[in-house]
Amino acid sequence: MSEAGGDALSVIGLNVWYDEAKALFDVSLRATSGQVVACVGRNGAGKTTLLRTVAGFLKPRSGSIASAGVDLVGLPSYGVAQLGIKYVPQDKMVFSDLTVRENLELSSYATGDYDWEPVTTYFPKLKALMDHKAGHLSGGERQMLMIGRAILGRPGLLLVDEPTEGLAPGIVMHLKHVFRDLSKRATLVIVEQNLPMVCAIADTLYAMSDGRIVAEFAGRGSVRPEVCERYL
Amino acid sequence: MIDAHLLTSGIIFGLSLGSIFFLMTVGLSLCFGLMRIISLDQLLYYSLGAYVTYSISHATSYVWLGVLAGAVVGGLAAFAVERLLYRRIYERDITFSMITSFGMLIAGIGAIKYIWGLTPRPVSVPITAEVDILGTLVPIYRLVIIGAAFVVYAGIWLFLNRTMVGKAIRAGIENVEHVEGLGINVYRLFAVTFIIAGTLSALAGGLYAPLIMVDPQMGLDVLAFAFMVVIIGGLGSIKGTFVSAFLVGQVVSLGSLAYAPLAQMAPFAIMLVVLLVKPTGLYGSPLLKR
Repeated sequence: MSEAGGDALSVIGLNVWYDEAKALFDVSLRATSGQVVACVGRNGAGKTTLLRTVAGFLKPRSGSIASAGVDLVGLPSYGVAQLGIKYVPQDKMVFSDLTVRENLELSSYATGDYDWEPVTTYFPKLKALMDHKAGHLSGGERQMLMIGRAILGRPGLLLVDEPTEGLAPGIVMHLKHVFRDLSKRATLVIVEQNLPMVCAIADTLYAMSDGRIVAEFAGRGSVRPEVCERYL
Repeated sequence: MIDAHLLTSGIIFGLSLGSIFFLMTVGLSLCFGLMRIISLDQLLYYSLGAYVTYSISHATSYVWLGVLAGAVVGGLAAFAVERLLYRRIYERDITFSMITSFGMLIAGIGAIKYIWGLTPRPVSVPITAEVDILGTLVPIYRLVIIGAAFVVYAGIWLFLNRTMVGKAIRAGIENVEHVEGLGINVYRLFAVTFIIAGTLSALAGGLYAPLIMVDPQMGLDVLAFAFMVVIIGGLGSIKGTFVSAFLVGQVVSLGSLAYAPLAQMAPFAIMLVVLLVKPTGLYGSPLLKR
């Protein structure tokens, strides 16, 4: 993504409703190019709603969302994805009836990027699983595939929703390194409950509660598990 | 004991009926699987296919040309309906699509009555020859219908497993939002699926036309069977629809040989048993509410 024309992600005054229930209240958030921005908060704080709204799956009632100067509000979610903004959902629902290869092929088909080297470099384990049905993968392997699928097309902005939820510590460590490396070429917005992991990689951290941003910590020095803990 | 000749022709009859059921309902099943709509208007394309077959075959005396034209008209009608109507209601509740499409079916039957009149119309059988199978004479045309169903099944299988658009449709049947998240325009997939569905429904009507009288109610007449086939097979499963179409076809055919009223009743009994044992149908998976 080009650096000109503004921040990798700029959310201003976002208000989102599920029918009659309001889920986000005047949420503003900013990620400059190449940053890792974390978003923490309890279940129901609105973190997933925020990511899904940015990705175009939910329509905000008011507020603006822009990436590199492009207004995202009103774009269909496939249009957002085509701009190089990829959402990695927390459900780890790979296309289970398709093979690992077919899962990746679909992403290549969507983005025109058939170079799978970054995927197999980050996740060499997937190489041996190419012809397996994705439904037979373990939780960690599914997450690898989800991230692998998302990074094809070299997206400029990755929206990652609770990537380590329910995964073994070894895989969490592995993912931490992957995210750190990915941040060299993409901006990351990560929603997480795992504070040590997220504090180790985040440049900026937002804490959410009841649909609002309640605190913001900028700079590596201030993003520490001790200070963030009370928001979980 | 049923007479052997009767049994052979009964099985062939059941297979050809099952073939028509399959072609008629595969679109219904696909549309439900991918778009989560209940597209009862498929039965309108079925009737339309039969009527176009009637008109073209009478004008040119080529029945096959009529069948082909019917399938094309069915596909075009489906394209128009998808563009004008479904595109506006995909986001709505599933019952909304059911009511809308039933309304379309009724309105379409009205249009058919207006254009072609109320009198049932005959279509001549393009192949009148018969072939000897185990000492029983079987009309070749029925075998052609069975062959067509198998060719279509194989074609759909190849399309879904060997092409990118097909793979995207399979992925979308599992989780359409994730397909969209990859950057694929799912509305284009919806349009492709709906056109395929309409074309095959119309093909079913066209192929069946020579064996029945083409009349305005023909779509409504098969409505219950169409429902049963997709529900027994499992909504959204092509394989399930294929198996269950032949199951229902045989039950109707052989049931009527054993005891005539069974033709109408037996499919319901089968559906009851299948749903008691497996509520999602033979090959259905628990479906996510969207």
